[in-house]
Amino acid sequence: MKATFARVTENERLYGETHITWFAAPEAVRGAGPGQFVMLRCVEPAAEREPLPATELPVDPLLPRAMSIHRMRQGADGPEWSILYDIVGRGTAWLASRRPGDAVYCWGPLGHGYSLRRASQQLLLVAGGIGVAPLVWLADQAIESEKSVTLVLGGRTAEQIFPATLLPPEVEIVVTTEDGSLGRRGLATEAFVEHLEWCDQAFACGPNAMFEAMAKEQRRSRIRRPVQALLEEGMGCGTGICYGCAIQTRRGMRLVCKDGPRFDLREVF
Amino acid sequence: MNLQVELASRKGSLILANPVMTASGTFSFGLEEGHAFNVQELGAIVTKTVTLRPRSGSPQPRTAETPAGMLNAIGLQNPGVDAVVRKMAPRWSRWRTPVIVSILGATVEEYGELAARLEGVEGVAAVEVNISSPNARRGGMEFGQEPDTAAAVTQAVVRNITLPVIVKLTPNVTDIADVARAVVESGADALCVINTLQAMAIDARSRRPAIASGFAGLSGPAIKPVALRMVYQVAAAVDAPIIGCGGIATGLDAVEFLLAGATAVQVGTATFANPRAPLDVLDGLRRFLDEEGVADIGELIGAAHERRPAESPATS
Repeated sequence: MKATFARVTENERLYGETHITWFAAPEAVRGAGPGQFVMLRCVEPAAEREPLPATELPVDPLLPRAMSIHRMRQGADGPEWSILYDIVGRGTAWLASRRPGDAVYCWGPLGHGYSLRRASQQLLLVAGGIGVAPLVWLADQAIESEKSVTLVLGGRTAEQIFPATLLPPEVEIVVTTEDGSLGRRGLATEAFVEHLEWCDQAFACGPNAMFEAMAKEQRRSRIRRPVQALLEEGMGCGTGICYGCAIQTRRGMRLVCKDGPRFDLREVF
Repeated sequence: MNLQVELASRKGSLILANPVMTASGTFSFGLEEGHAFNVQELGAIVTKTVTLRPRSGSPQPRTAETPAGMLNAIGLQNPGVDAVVRKMAPRWSRWRTPVIVSILGATVEEYGELAARLEGVEGVAAVEVNISSPNARRGGMEFGQEPDTAAAVTQAVVRNITLPVIVKLTPNVTDIADVARAVVESGADALCVINTLQAMAIDARSRRPAIASGFAGLSGPAIKPVALRMVYQVAAAVDAPIIGCGGIATGLDAVEFLLAGATAVQVGTATFANPRAPLDVLDGLRRFLDEEGVADIGELIGAAHERRPAESPATS
């Protein structure tokens, strides 16, 4: 884990109310894989000071925000990584207003990401709303290693659906919206069960209600496939020292930040 | 430059190479891999609070952000004292940095029992008695709010252990000096001032408390002025080393607490906002001493008092 001031290289509203921010700070994601995350402080550093002292950052808002690594790319001056998010509060509103050149204090990579079995050839990815964020990088990597990928994109409306044009063309995309404004009317869960038999391994990210429904539907279907869920929980530290994000699992209490955020679906739901 | 401080001398001594420690509940048990700094550079580590039996803690949500601070109701999740003695202490015994184990009992007897289980355990340098957690259904703050119960807990611990005993006080009292005096008279070697302030946040949209258990403990820069006042007040009331705690995030914060009368400081919530915070505090403190030409950190301790506490007349 490395703490650093990451320079913003690009920041835009990508679709609907969803924003993407790119950073040039490879040290914060060194050795990372899909499903791992970065903590970001959402306060303005005193930019005239070099090196920027972390102790002089404003103390409000105080806590860092946990963000999955969304994607990697080669930028003009080296590798870049991005986060994908909706504006839900002060932190995300601040992030969405960053400009190229701004510095954001962050540290990572953190947690345990998705674990892809070598033997798995057919991969089912299930995204609920903004839960698509970490799955795009997983899809990028899986296509690069010549796996078959089906990605279920679920949302309330068309506005919440990650644009197909931004995904590798090899990815099979199934869109579900609750209001039927794009793709099939219904829930991502239904498409998940339909494709379960096809896949060797499934990977999901979304709200807990989606995971609960997925676990229930899988039990009912009696189709045994390993499903990994990437969980979200309110975090204080992101590094396993505050115990703020503890959850009950079938193996006892676990910390989402340190023991997860990837869990076997059946271990938790 | 001398940064060494002494927190206990009567029984087993507790001498720290420097005055910067982690605060209980904000650094787990110090054994996580990949910390942003070398733990061995700190004056001491204080563990997450340990209870007699394992505890799974409170339901979610456990934390909430507040202006320049945060609320927590973790609910004392820990693996229990036996697991700590068996699995963790052997690892601490190889460290240069002393490890202080924080303990909390549901009854006075449980505090005594915890002390007995930690007595003679290699790797444990001292105990910090938590009579100040606002998140324990039984024990914790309920013992720290009255001088006589605080004294009873302190006596139960001191009777059962030869290691140095630090007692961590709660700010949720009418007069912290009364509690401090009772605890020191009962044999505590040092005091930690303060634990979190009992507080609350309500989510306007859901119309419910933001924390599942309702009330929670407030920490972070928001409470620093309260903590500083209480350290000053306790320093004037007792003649025992004080560890300042509450909102410390920079070297200058640490200096202010030393001037108020603290001998050492604990860095807590700041580590969530900056994973290097404890070491940054130590570096900042060194820089201050260097800039001000202070050769011995002892020069700063209590210097903000009109008269040094030790020089105050017994009656006035």
